[in-house]
Amino acid sequence: MTDFDSDAVGKIHRHLHSQLPSESALRVKALESLLVEKGLVNSATIDAWVEAYSEEVGPKRGAQVVAKAWTDPEFKSRLMQDAVSAIDELGYLGKATAHLKVVENTATIHNLVVCTLCSCYPFSILGIAPNWYKTAAYRSRAVRDPRGVLQEFEVELDDDIEVRVWDSTAELRYLVLPQQPEATRDFSEAALAKLVTRNSMIGTDRVLSPEPKD
Amino acid sequence: MDGVHDLGGKQGFGPIDVNEVEIPFHADWEGRMWAIAQCARSPDWTIDWWRHVRELIDPVDYLSRPYFDSWAQTHIAAFIDSGEFTLDEILSGQSVNPAVDPVASQEYDDIIAAVGAQADRFDREIEAQPAYQVGDKIFTRQLLPGHHTRLPAYARGKSGVIHAQHGAYVFADTSAQGNEIAQHLYSVVFEAGDLWIEAGNRKDRVFIDLWESYLDPARN
Repeated sequence: MTDFDSDAVGKIHRHLHSQLPSESALRVKALESLLVEKGLVNSATIDAWVEAYSEEVGPKRGAQVVAKAWTDPEFKSRLMQDAVSAIDELGYLGKATAHLKVVENTATIHNLVVCTLCSCYPFSILGIAPNWYKTAAYRSRAVRDPRGVLQEFEVELDDDIEVRVWDSTAELRYLVLPQQPEATRDFSEAALAKLVTRNSMIGTDRVLSPEPKD
Repeated sequence: MDGVHDLGGKQGFGPIDVNEVEIPFHADWEGRMWAIAQCARSPDWTIDWWRHVRELIDPVDYLSRPYFDSWAQTHIAAFIDSGEFTLDEILSGQSVNPAVDPVASQEYDDIIAAVGAQADRFDREIEAQPAYQVGDKIFTRQLLPGHHTRLPAYARGKSGVIHAQHGAYVFADTSAQGNEIAQHLYSVVFEAGDLWIEAGNRKDRVFIDLWESYLDPARN
């Protein structure tokens, strides 16, 4: 049993720092091997988890949510009121989305999501977070210099557009609903889903192209 | 705790690698670490304790080693701390008591179902009424806690306004110490100019989810 003692864990970390192999792959291999020997995990199950998050549980799900919101006003209304129920309709409710909120970009508002304290992310609809989202550079700058961060992502904002930064400090998670490109009003939901970039749902992309991204 | 993990507003980092290839895992070991974290944990951990164990990593390591490497070290340290295995076992790679009845493998479809079953909820019903209403002006406290907190350093001692009431949620600070106590959580909005000296009148706002314990009524 843990006794939630910071000093005890600090001591363990110092032992690990000096005694674990430096290479990350070896650390993870040691952990997996030991957990398998202890009977706590199964390597075939690990393979299946990796496969699940390599394709099916990823930003395609979020893109589907966005495309449906663009084409189905009643779904959009439910999504903005109660995003958890709305994504559950599509079977996407899951890890880190039980308290999901959707924030909508408009002509005068741009939303940007960050977790300054760790790297919270709505996994069951966006999959694994990009590395940049987890870096000190993004986490430190998104709240202080959001326009500078956005410029690096080639998002140019007029001064009169309000930037709203959402710092995921509690268990709520945020999904940005990007604006639908003007030229796509008659596109099908499936065609629209292909236009939605992962970054546009985090807020580091804004003006989506009417041409599919692939 | 005032650790290096509390990165909001720290200067000197950047630029951002905006050309990163969009793939979920950049190495096999990253995927395996992610997967291990999904299916192996000690029943006595809370998510907030796990986050705190990660914050306790040596600050130089925290900032310089790869992201999922910090997950490996967090999992290893937390398992040693809660007694699932020892330092000697992880260093030698040998279990002193190998399982006689190891956990069975799960199929792909089981995993997709398991992703859905991970929709853990942290909202709770409590009797106390929320102390703040939407539109109330608040002032964040100057906490200097030694343990885990989710009040970021950049938002301490600042003026903000209640943007939304979320209801009561498990309070991270006590959950990280093994005590589940729910209290009201709010979305609090801060003007960039109230957080950052250089922001001036820039039309930006930062929304932060904060528990009632972090807040005082604004001094008018």
